[in-house]
Amino acid sequence: MAKLTIPAQELMWGGHSACPGCGPALAMRLLLKGLGPRTLVSIPASCWTVIATPYPTTALRVGVLDNAIEATGASISGLRAAADALGLENVNIVGFAGDGGTADIGLQALSGMLERRTNAIYVMYDNEAYMNTGIQRSGATPWGAWTTTTPVSAAVHGKPEPKKDIMGIVLAHRPAYAATLNPAFPEDFDQKVERARALVGPRFLHLFAPCPPGWKFDSSQTIALGRLATDTGVFPLYEVVDGRLRITRKTGGLKPVTEYLSAQGRFKHLSADDMAQIQAQVRTDWEHLQSREREDLGRVH
Amino acid sequence: MIEIRFHGRGGQGAVVASELLAQAAFLDGKQPQSFPFFGVERRGAPVTAYTRVDERPVGLRTSITAPDAVVVFDPGLLASESVTDGLRSNGLLLVNTPRPPESLAAPPGVRRAAVDATRIALSHHLGTPMLPIVNTAVLGALARATGVVSLESLRRAVEQFVPARPEENRRAASDGYSEVRAVEGTGSATVSGPKARPPAPRLPEGPIASVSSETIHTSAWRTFTPVIHLDRCTKCNFCWKFCPDAAIEFDANGYPVLRLAYCKGCGICAAECPPKTIEMVAGA
Repeated sequence: MAKLTIPAQELMWGGHSACPGCGPALAMRLLLKGLGPRTLVSIPASCWTVIATPYPTTALRVGVLDNAIEATGASISGLRAAADALGLENVNIVGFAGDGGTADIGLQALSGMLERRTNAIYVMYDNEAYMNTGIQRSGATPWGAWTTTTPVSAAVHGKPEPKKDIMGIVLAHRPAYAATLNPAFPEDFDQKVERARALVGPRFLHLFAPCPPGWKFDSSQTIALGRLATDTGVFPLYEVVDGRLRITRKTGGLKPVTEYLSAQGRFKHLSADDMAQIQAQVRTDWEHLQSREREDLGRVH
Repeated sequence: MIEIRFHGRGGQGAVVASELLAQAAFLDGKQPQSFPFFGVERRGAPVTAYTRVDERPVGLRTSITAPDAVVVFDPGLLASESVTDGLRSNGLLLVNTPRPPESLAAPPGVRRAAVDATRIALSHHLGTPMLPIVNTAVLGALARATGVVSLESLRRAVEQFVPARPEENRRAASDGYSEVRAVEGTGSATVSGPKARPPAPRLPEGPIASVSSETIHTSAWRTFTPVIHLDRCTKCNFCWKFCPDAAIEFDANGYPVLRLAYCKGCGICAAECPPKTIEMVAGA
């Protein structure tokens, strides 16, 4: 057997109905590798409902509960209560929802689950729009992106509002663990999944999940684009354990965001001024993240 | 009334083709109707669309179960979908394939036509090499093989309604028109149908869905197929790590092995392989 840097076990089957080059499909495969077979996953209405379960098939070798789009947080609180009542031990309870089902429609249930201190892992796979229904903008769609509901014209340059800061919202609930993960960095991804699995209490994983048809790039470029997202600072990788933030991938200097933006059709209408505005915001956010990390390091435990 | 059923894969333009055909028929002074089957639309997944053309307004609102012509955008669909279901015995089967029409299996009496629309689309840079958009070339072939619309109206419909590259698409339609080949039906052809799905478990005794998704093969979704040249493979496992379809495993010596039944041809393995030992080869 070859020497592997991530677990060999495969808990996601082939034959599922994700698009070619699907970021969320790879994210689920990597997630289950780190979690192992004693896992129950609650999936709300999202691309993954369709990917996993054309009747009577299932793409996952773990238990799956299909639920309504707004209910993921509540459903994993219920699954944990049921597991406790049945005396099931060493079971990972996982919610796996999209950005629309988390940052918009499921926000109340997520907040409730975090506030109840449910012992479960909530995963938001972020493809930055309602992709399953045909690329409608969500709260997690970034500023300037084209979607079918933020069309581009001479006067409108894609989505006029910035991306919702879901990590900020989650961190305000002081979870046991929160991290950003990117399938383009499988070893970092796996370490975070295994760290989350070992902890107790509410845990949150924000997964970067490129969507070739929705973001308009060739299906072979999913990983290359994922690397660019992190190396330009658009999607920095970090984790927060007990309120202490640590950046897990540090680059000597950030690459220009134009490399990331110009690789996608959804940003092709952006002007040089638009890109400069995005670059300034990314730089500010990155500096803020670094200063937060320094502060947390200096804090007396 | 002429009824035409389109079988394509998400992203090839089958739904747009059904609409363009209707627009062309309208320009010919006919009363057309077109609509897609409402299902799971995924890039690469099988999709179905319908067009009816008549001299009078069409009152029917049902999907087409006894078509006069069946148009298949990808030969891979012939094995996995029952594309000729209900096809009239004097009807036409048109397939996008580089192979001759004589090689197509069809029910007795059915005329067979073939056009290499993928090559035509690529020659006009329509779509990407991974997903050529073949619809206008196929429509040109359909216009010639059935006479359901005139080439002139088709070219005008393409000019007015195709969102990108109207000139290249018009040329593709003309190429399809001139390159299509048709042969009469035979009396003794056999048709391959879809593999039977496993029976569903009875409710409510167990989990609702307990059959592995690996009973579903997605190889027909591919336009290009990866080929690994093992002589240069360094066993770095990048192809395995990054496969979203769990379509790569290892042999006893630690070399990657493709599980082609589940590969959708996304090309990530070829793009990420550090020594570039993986080649994407045209065809499923």
